[in-house]
Amino acid sequence: MFGYIRVDRAELLGKEYDAYKGIYCALCRQLGRDYSIFARFILSYDCTFYAMLGLDLTKEPPCYEQKCCRFNPFKKCLYAKSESASLSLAAALSVISAYYKLRDDLIDSPWYKRLACRLIQPFFASWRKKAAKKYPEMDAFVAKMLESQLQAERDESCVPDMAAQPTADMLKAACEMLVDNIELRDDLQPERTKRIVGTMGYFIGRWIYLIDAADDCEKDKKHGSFNPYLLPLQTDEPLADYIEHSLNNALSEALLSYGLLDKGRFDPLINNVLCVSCISIQNNILERYRQEDSEKSNEESI
Amino acid sequence: MKNPYEVLGVPETATDEEIKTAYRNLAKKYHPDNYNDSPLADLAEEKMKEINEAYDTICDMRKNGSSSSYTSGSYGTGSSYAKTSYPDVRNYIMNGRLDDAMELLNGVAETSRDAEWYFLMGMVFSRKGWSDQAYQYFQRAYQMNPGNPEFKAAFENMNARRAYSNPGYNTTGAGGCSMCDICTGMLCANCLCNCCGGNGC
Repeated sequence: MFGYIRVDRAELLGKEYDAYKGIYCALCRQLGRDYSIFARFILSYDCTFYAMLGLDLTKEPPCYEQKCCRFNPFKKCLYAKSESASLSLAAALSVISAYYKLRDDLIDSPWYKRLACRLIQPFFASWRKKAAKKYPEMDAFVAKMLESQLQAERDESCVPDMAAQPTADMLKAACEMLVDNIELRDDLQPERTKRIVGTMGYFIGRWIYLIDAADDCEKDKKHGSFNPYLLPLQTDEPLADYIEHSLNNALSEALLSYGLLDKGRFDPLINNVLCVSCISIQNNILERYRQEDSEKSNEESI
Repeated sequence: MKNPYEVLGVPETATDEEIKTAYRNLAKKYHPDNYNDSPLADLAEEKMKEINEAYDTICDMRKNGSSSSYTSGSYGTGSSYAKTSYPDVRNYIMNGRLDDAMELLNGVAETSRDAEWYFLMGMVFSRKGWSDQAYQYFQRAYQMNPGNPEFKAAFENMNARRAYSNPGYNTTGAGGCSMCDICTGMLCANCLCNCCGGNGC
């Protein structure tokens, strides 16, 4: 996971942000409880969003309790407490995806990074083993994602849609798994909710893959690594516009899917992520491309 | 059946005008045209039907109770297809059998590929979630036959999504901020920093 799916704090009410922070801290604690105190370091915004989505769909609302932070005993934090499996699933997704990301880094990173990865790999492997025992289905679809990703990158006819599919499929399966493992709110029908949440997950996964590719394009070009935006693209648009339109499309589809779901307790937070935060993140990244384009055109005119 | 007022998201004490406005907003949001090429098109149609039924029920209830003077006139939900040369492909797409639809379309000789062929290819890719490919096919279908309302709607919907301006959703202008916003933000941040330690997560 990459940390792009987060809230825009400036646009939230204080109580909304507290609710979000409570889930973030609760996931941190869950990672410590289920795996190890060091597993807390792999806490990500993406998995916090995943936990929040689960808690939004759960019948019983989470309650919040105030406790001391493990890393700073002088700081009191709010922790979301829930009987549902949302936090446990999010913690498992964190460690499993971190393990496979590490394996991916071992394939295409410079030697010094590979060395660091080798050193921490045994820890990640033991957490992943524990999580896979609890949720074997999750381990299987994340492993499949990595395999399909490598396959897509090797395919000569690869296009950005094809490259984005493994991550999209993984998040789709993860979101569907949420619906299967929690007791849903009374107003939600399981099959319908599974389809909606799965489709939403698909397009959020697609957006995550594409925004990460846009963010890393320059670096990948330098290192000769695979990046979907370095492929020959079938478009006449400038690259920044092409990327922006693809990202907008993925977000729109996620938002339209979410629109079909009856609103839950974290609706303002989910809306904040999809309508404000993601757009602001992609604008910041695309600004770099546009600045480079204008610098190039200035140099040409001189 | 759900409480019709809950479906429209209004209290039972809402005025006729408020109900009409809520209904219009929801109809704009869930209109089947917005979801025509979405993998959730059938669910959007169900939702629209539920909204229409709720609106009609409230209209009838109020008419019978003589508290309202307006008549119901809900939006249509059915998306009717025009004459088609590819009925099987359309059936496969409707039933989510995208690989079968793709196979049939790929079997059509290149010289016989008309605007509808490109449109249906766009539909298959769009429902599969391959939006970039879908856009190219919709664009080609529209360029080949700009007078066809179905191709035009698909192309325009896709353009709206690519601009992130979805009907019924407040997404336009999101994320932007003026210089005044920046100054105010910095002032607030400064005050907060002076008062307490950061607690960002």
